[in-house]
Amino acid sequence: MATLELDSVRKTFQDDSGEIVAVDDVSTAIDDGEFLVVVGPSGCGKSTMLRMVAGLESITSGTVSLNNRVINDVKSQDRDIAMVFQSYALYPHMSVRGNMSFGLEESTDLPDDQIAEMVSETAELLGISNLLERRPTDLSGGQQQRVALGRAIVRDPEVFLMDEPLSNLDAKLRAQMRTELQRLQEDLGVTTVYVTHDQTEAMTMGDRIAILNDGRLQQVATPLECYHEPANQFVAGFLGEPSMNFFDVRFERGVLVGDAFEYPLGPEVREALDGTTDLVLGIRPEDIELAETASNDHDFATTVDVVEPMGDENTVHLKFDEGVETMIATADGFTRISAGDDVVARIPAESIHVFDRETGEALRNRSLDSKTLSAALE
Amino acid sequence: MSDAEIRRADATTRVARLRRTVQQTSPGEVVLYAVLVVMAGFYLVPIESGLVTSIKTNTAIIGTAPYAPPGANGVTLEKWGTAIDALLRGMGNSLLYAVPATVISAVLGSVTAYGLTMPTWKRAYKAPLIALIVAGIFIPYQAVLVPLTQFWSQWVGIAQHLSFVWALGVPDDYAGIVELVITHVAYGLPICTLLFRTYYKTMSTEMIESARLDGASLRRVYRRIVLPLSGPMFAVVLIYQFTQIWNDLLFTLVLVSTESSPAAPVVLILAGLGSSLEGQDFALRMAGAFFAALPTLAVYIFFGEEFAEGVSA
Repeated sequence: MATLELDSVRKTFQDDSGEIVAVDDVSTAIDDGEFLVVVGPSGCGKSTMLRMVAGLESITSGTVSLNNRVINDVKSQDRDIAMVFQSYALYPHMSVRGNMSFGLEESTDLPDDQIAEMVSETAELLGISNLLERRPTDLSGGQQQRVALGRAIVRDPEVFLMDEPLSNLDAKLRAQMRTELQRLQEDLGVTTVYVTHDQTEAMTMGDRIAILNDGRLQQVATPLECYHEPANQFVAGFLGEPSMNFFDVRFERGVLVGDAFEYPLGPEVREALDGTTDLVLGIRPEDIELAETASNDHDFATTVDVVEPMGDENTVHLKFDEGVETMIATADGFTRISAGDDVVARIPAESIHVFDRETGEALRNRSLDSKTLSAALE
Repeated sequence: MSDAEIRRADATTRVARLRRTVQQTSPGEVVLYAVLVVMAGFYLVPIESGLVTSIKTNTAIIGTAPYAPPGANGVTLEKWGTAIDALLRGMGNSLLYAVPATVISAVLGSVTAYGLTMPTWKRAYKAPLIALIVAGIFIPYQAVLVPLTQFWSQWVGIAQHLSFVWALGVPDDYAGIVELVITHVAYGLPICTLLFRTYYKTMSTEMIESARLDGASLRRVYRRIVLPLSGPMFAVVLIYQFTQIWNDLLFTLVLVSTESSPAAPVVLILAGLGSSLEGQDFALRMAGAFFAALPTLAVYIFFGEEFAEGVSA
């Protein structure tokens, strides 16, 4: 049971071409029992951040504290932290039992029979009791994954660190393990930091998600907050599949002027812009409504370019009749729509996001019925 | 069907299969296999010649070609007997330094390589050490002969330090054996270290990190993870080092020097075996050579499987 705190943590590597900043001034606190998912594109520094917490990577500046104690100079083996690696990193010369008891043997003075008992309890919890005498090489990927988890759980550490633990599993097993991992974490109540590049895992698993790009923390918030109220254009584009449509626009005379369209703004939005004129308009594909005929000034004439049927819904690529810009909309799976059709795309005023084009900062996020959001967050 | 019928049916299918194989063989393959057979014969002829020579009588050696089998009256095991009698004590002496030197250099090499691979050191400290070790591999034996004798005879008087051993009745020539052990360990350490280092670099770093996070200290990680996984590389290093040390004549000549010494290793005795003023006793020389090579052969057979695994790693 522990709180983990990162304060202005920075990591730089020396390269032939000079200094490379891997993690830049990251500060965040993870509460006792919280499940924090760190997500970002590959090379964003998320694994480095995790490895610094584990003590496998030195910290260039800043502090990492566990239960208000700075652990920068505490060796990995003394941190009481367990980590699950993407490759599982099982000890190939030991049986599953050996793998699971290794940590207890090395980090505690518990007698052998007590260790054996704890190992069989954990194995039971994970449903791998029948595998205890097998070698890792004789196990399937999913089974190895469970053993790796078991090895971490049996130690009952202060913090779990997980570095993309599910990315070597096939899609079906991954979805299943996702749920199971979430349930386990809830039952055990151990503070967990989970690194992934998979936004589905980020959205579904965490109490909060931390989005990292280029070593910088972009936003730390609940998944729904990040989705609906992104702090900047990066977060808005990173979360969501298909991702948010962005259009470079200029603000002129109360109207957003783009290559292909002009979008009139309401007074509330105009005020939020606060005089910035170079902007990016963002709209999520699921917020675009498709209609037969244009009825107001938020409706635009488009032609269907490609339709990707997903079964439950159709991903529709639209081309504006004027200009070269395209956008993606999602439509109900039963909508009859095919390439070449003329449709009207309605971009509802309450669903738009507006970003500063230079800084990427969100100036205006979609308006949400705050009651709906808080209800959803409950 | 009766037994005979089944057998006949079997034979027919076998003939059919053979015919199919012959039909499917292309001329290219025939040439390939012919060349391979010739080459295999070419490589095996010296060994075969040696073996048949070692069991020939003196008259048979003169009367038959070296690779031809001896006639019915030309066979004798007498030379083997003489060779074994002459070499047996040397065999013991050789084992006395080859085994410890091999084991010690392998263990030290493994530990050194672990120290140079796994812990996170500063590159600036690690690189010069590795460069030094690599340089050690390329020092020729001949270049160190004079300093080596100087070192043992003038600087380190091992014979005096071990006086209590000679007091027990062991001939003090055996000081040379101790010197050989230490010399071979020192000389073998660089190559052993390098071989283990290459192997350890392929080990999963995540596995080592995982063990560290599991609470194991550096020493415990070596004992419980790295060492148990080093088996194949130990096989490679043991075979290589053992063969190298067993067959080395140069250091034994310098440090033990005479074949008449009670501590003379097998290579020293073998060098003089079967040559005298009357001429060469080819049969005796061959028998001696084969007998002296038996331990190296045994090591290959013993560690063969791990060796293959280690080489491919």
